[in-house]
This record gives sequence, C-alpha cells and structure tokens, in this order.
Amino acid sequence: MKGLKLIQRAINLQEVKRIPWVPFVGVHAAKLINKNASEFLKSEELIYKGVSEAITKYNPDGIPILFDLQLEAEVLGCELIWADENPPSVVSHPLQKGILLSDLRIPNKTDGRIGITLNAAKRIKNDHPDLAVYGLITGPFTLALHLLGTDIFMKMFMEPDEIRMILDFCTAVGKKMSEYYIEAGCDVIAVVDPMTSQIDPMNFNQFVSPYVSEIFTYIRSREKISSFFVCGNAEQNIEEMCKCKPDNISIDENIDLEFVKNITLKHKISFGGNIKLTVSLLLGNENDCQADALSCMDKGGLKGFILAPGCDIPMDTPVINLQAVSNLVFDEYQQQVIRTMDNADAEETEIDLTGHWKPDKLNIDIFTLDSSSCAPCKYMVEAVNKIIPEFGKVVEIKEFKIKELESIKMMRALKVKNIPSICIEGEVVFSSQIPPREKLITAVKEKLDQKFAKKING
Amino acid sequence: MESLLNEIAHCVEFGKIDLKSPYPPDMKGKEGAAELTKKALDEGIPAKDILEKGLIVGMAKIGIKFRANEVFVPQVLMSAKAMSTAMEHIKPLFITGAVKAKGTFIIGTVAGDLHDIGKNLVSMMIEGNGWNVVDLGVDVKPEKFLEAVKENPNSYVGLSALLTTTMVQMEKIVSLIKEDHPETKILIGGAPVNENFKNKIGADFYAPDPQGAVEYINAGAA
Repeated sequence: MKGLKLIQRAINLQEVKRIPWVPFVGVHAAKLINKNASEFLKSEELIYKGVSEAITKYNPDGIPILFDLQLEAEVLGCELIWADENPPSVVSHPLQKGILLSDLRIPNKTDGRIGITLNAAKRIKNDHPDLAVYGLITGPFTLALHLLGTDIFMKMFMEPDEIRMILDFCTAVGKKMSEYYIEAGCDVIAVVDPMTSQIDPMNFNQFVSPYVSEIFTYIRSREKISSFFVCGNAEQNIEEMCKCKPDNISIDENIDLEFVKNITLKHKISFGGNIKLTVSLLLGNENDCQADALSCMDKGGLKGFILAPGCDIPMDTPVINLQAVSNLVFDEYQQQVIRTMDNADAEETEIDLTGHWKPDKLNIDIFTLDSSSCAPCKYMVEAVNKIIPEFGKVVEIKEFKIKELESIKMMRALKVKNIPSICIEGEVVFSSQIPPREKLITAVKEKLDQKFAKKING
Repeated sequence: MESLLNEIAHCVEFGKIDLKSPYPPDMKGKEGAAELTKKALDEGIPAKDILEKGLIVGMAKIGIKFRANEVFVPQVLMSAKAMSTAMEHIKPLFITGAVKAKGTFIIGTVAGDLHDIGKNLVSMMIEGNGWNVVDLGVDVKPEKFLEAVKENPNSYVGLSALLTTTMVQMEKIVSLIKEDHPETKILIGGAPVNENFKNKIGADFYAPDPQGAVEYINAGAA
C-alpha cells in the first residue's frame, strides 16, 4: 500500500506495514530544477516541474504543492521582499498602515499567485492520482499577524474584540482557500499556523482554537483530510491543538515525538514529524539523516504516524540526504541494520582478526541481516554457495549475521557499510546487489590469482 | 519604600502598564508601573533604586518565567511595555548622571533576514536590565555592525537569525568585528543556531533565550 491510501490508513489510526512519508518540499523543489525560490514561487510551470521532480526523486506518499505562508498575505496587501533561497518575507502590514479591515476582501481564486498554485496542484494530482496532494493554507493567527504585525500580541490583551474581528476574517480566508485547494484536487488541507507557537494555552484557546476549529469542520464537511502544522516549539499547545479536532498534527523538531504521540493518540488524532531540518537534513550526511528518520519512525510507530521533516525543507538540503531517508522508509532491512548497529555502538567493537585468514584458503565473508529471514541476504548467500563447486575447498565461506555482536565487530573491521555484502579476502567486493554468477566467479578468480601469485612470489 | 518598589516590580512582572490598562484582568482599575514609578520619584526614592530594585527585578522575573515556558511572547511584550512606560519618568535622570547604564549592547537581525520578534525580545529584556541598547533593526549588513562597534567602544554585540540560510551571515560578522576589535564579545541567538555553531564561527556566547543573554552580559559587567 502506498500514497493516499496509506496516508488515509495512518489518519484512521489503523496499523500500517510501512510508515508513510511526506517530505515537506518547499523551495527545495526549486533547487531540484536549478531555479531560485522567487522565480519558482511565481510560476505554475516551475512549481509543477519542481514538485514533479521531488516526487520522482523522493518517492513520497504525500507532497505539498507550495510551502509559502505569504501567498494569502500578498493578495491582502502585505508587501513582500523576495529572496533567492527562502520564501518571501512580509515587510508591511496593511492594518498597521491605516487600511481598514472592512476594506479587505476575501481573495478570488485567480488573485495574486493563487491561480498558478491551484493550476499546479491540478496538474500534479492529474499526474499522480494515487498520491496524497497537500494544499497548505496560512492559519488564521499567522495571517492576522501578517495583516497587523506584532501589535497583535499586545492587542490580544488590550483590544481583544478587534483581534477577534481580524481572526474572523482570516478564518473566512482560510475556509475559502481550503475550498479552492479541494476543488483543485488536493486530498489533505494543512492549516499552517507557526505563530501560535509563541502564545500560551490560554490565549491559544481564545485566539486560535475557535478559528482553526471552524476550518477543520469545513474540511471535514468536504470529506477531505485536515492537518494542523505548527513549525516552532508549540509543546505547550499540543493538547489545545488536539481539541480543535484536526485529523492530523504535524510538529516541529524541537518537540519530543513521544510526548506528542501520547497526547495525540489519547485524542484519537494521527501525528507526524519531525526529522531535524538543519542538524540532519541540511548539514548532516546520509547516515545522520537515516539515523534521525529511523529514530522518528521507531518513536512514531506503525499506528497513526506520518514521517515528515519538522517543517519545510531548507532549499540547499542535499538531495542524497532526502533520498537516504526515502530509501530507508522503503527498506525494512536497512532499518534493522541501523538499529542493530546503534545498539552495538555502546559496546566494544574491536576484534582480533588473527586466525580469520588462512594461508591456503581464500576467505569469502558474507554479511547479512540473517539469510534465513532477509530475502536479499538469502539470495546473496545462495549466489556464493552456487559457485563453490567451481573452486572446491580452496575457498572458505562464512556468513556473518549482524544480529550478533561478533558479526558487527567483523563488519566494522572490514569497513562494510551495507547489508548484504560480500567480502573477498577482507575487501568489500559486492554490496547491496546480488552479483551475477559470472561476475562473482571472475572476482573470486582474480582474488585467488592475487593471493597465490603473491604467495609464490613472496 | 520597599513595598512601593515591590509593587513596581510586580507591575512589570505582570505587564500592568498604567491605570487605564485593562491587563492583567485582576489588576484592572489599579495603578500601573507608570503611576507607581512617578509616585516613587515624588517620594524621593532614588531613581537608581527604582530601576535596580523595582523595574529590573520585574523584568528579570518575567525573563526567568519565559525561559521556563511559564509565559510566552505576549506576556513578555506587556512587561516590556510596562517597563518602557515607567522608564519615561526615569530616562531624564540618565542625563543628569543620577542613573547610569550598565553598558552598551548592539543588536540586529543579520543581513537577508527580516525576522524581528526574537531580536526585539532580547533588546527589551536587556534594556529592561539597565543597559543602553543600540538596535540596528533587521537585515543588517556586516559593515553596519562594525560601524556600530566603532561608535560604541566596549559594547557587546548580539546577532539574531531565524533562517538556516541567513545564519551563515553570522560567521562573516564575527570575523569582521573580531579582526579589528578582538576584545568585543559577540552573542548569537535564534532558532537555527546552537552551541556548536557558536564554537564553529568563533562567537563568544550562544543564548538560547533572552534571559541567557542578560545573565551573560551582566556577569561581564559585574
């Protein structure tokens, strides 16, 4: 099972065989097609191409069309400053500049960049009908902050009625945007409201809950999935977020996933997150990313969890890092290898190799998870066993199952990185892929020639 | 005298600006930091005491609560507003020399980054602790930081960034300032940065929250 169906299963808190994976590809999609963020965000064609490329490269179950929380704000009169590597920033707030709330109109589906975004969404959904396509809308509180500036924080105390009127308007905008995305074919509407991480549960209850709840009710009435994204440390508000009844809550890397799991599942709400954006994805290597993703997967579990980054992926994130995460998601064996290696980390990993090498034999060491339970491992071992008659007793074959500590020590000593692998005389010769018979025979012959020629010469 | 200073500290801690402010609801209709500060001055309490034993105490308390996630941005902004309103009465006395700032703190959000909430919180907390703050704003070029350091000898510098793409600017600013002014202490803060990053770029201190910055520079000034 894959894509939308798998996501639906997770949302319904049914057990899955494989954890669904949704990379929040924002302007990183621009990098995939060698464009900068501002040209990408302004072009239907580039959004379509970039997101399509992300789907090809990262094999996701779901993907957002656009991760730009300035889309609605721009239409409503906020001035933007554009950047090459980030979504634009809001630099002016219409309600602070004397424009009245009553002057603001709910955006039409062709206003600003809304039209190109919806068209891109339609094309992506058309190409990938089985994928969960996410339409992201700016949450009411964050949109209100765009309109009013940071004055909103103090006005919540000083002039709460004014703030409520602004939030009513922003909620109407959110519902309309949800409607547009649903009509464009989106399966999941994510209400992204990062600024709510800056307020306490009491204010959240007053100035966020009623408004987002209304949007989630609307999305439910259209029989689509809703998700509540809060980038930023919103730990204090997770419980309140659940009470707003979204179908899913996706959280920032700063929040402990187990903490979120306990609260969301108590409310029968699925949850997602929270691979680290900078430490792992942007600045780490493939191993760091896989270790982080696996840690999330192990905490999240097979019920109600969607693997995703903590927020939108930084533009310059190396493609290989995200591919490493994607590969891990689909490769149960690799997951087991990393778990086993992690467990062994704390142990002494030195091994004495004296006695392993035989002067009159050629060592063929096969590293597996366990050939009795892991299919690729089984085929690797079989491939080696089948060529034994060609060489007879001159080769000595040994399987190292990395479920055992001794095998891990051996794996480290021989610098084996992948499972399954074949080492001949201590050198990794075949890794991950099962070699064809002829290739294997040639490799063994070469090593035999080397070893015994050396012996004769020596 | 002590009870009046405690009341002033209480007003700042709980964001009670003045008599007409409806916040916090349980102090509605009561005098706020502004009126009480004026009253204290009228009673002859030295401005230095009002600042150090009243206003700063309130700001320090809210800073500690913010660090502990007991309060959030709106409450800190209310406290800062209460503090700054009260300071209107005290500031004229800086000129007379009756009150002295602990030192100067230069702060800005680095070039390419327009986020100002974190920067403003730090700025307010530090000002509320008796420091002179030079706020360079957002999207500040490295040269502008250097210029400010030249104009304000012996100052501390605080760099803020929210974006992973702009945090790299910090390295440029640190090396530019340290080249001519190696003695200048530079603090960094913001969501993407951490202790390792601070070490990597040669900054002096990573402040995970505004109170951390306050404590660091207060220790240096002591």
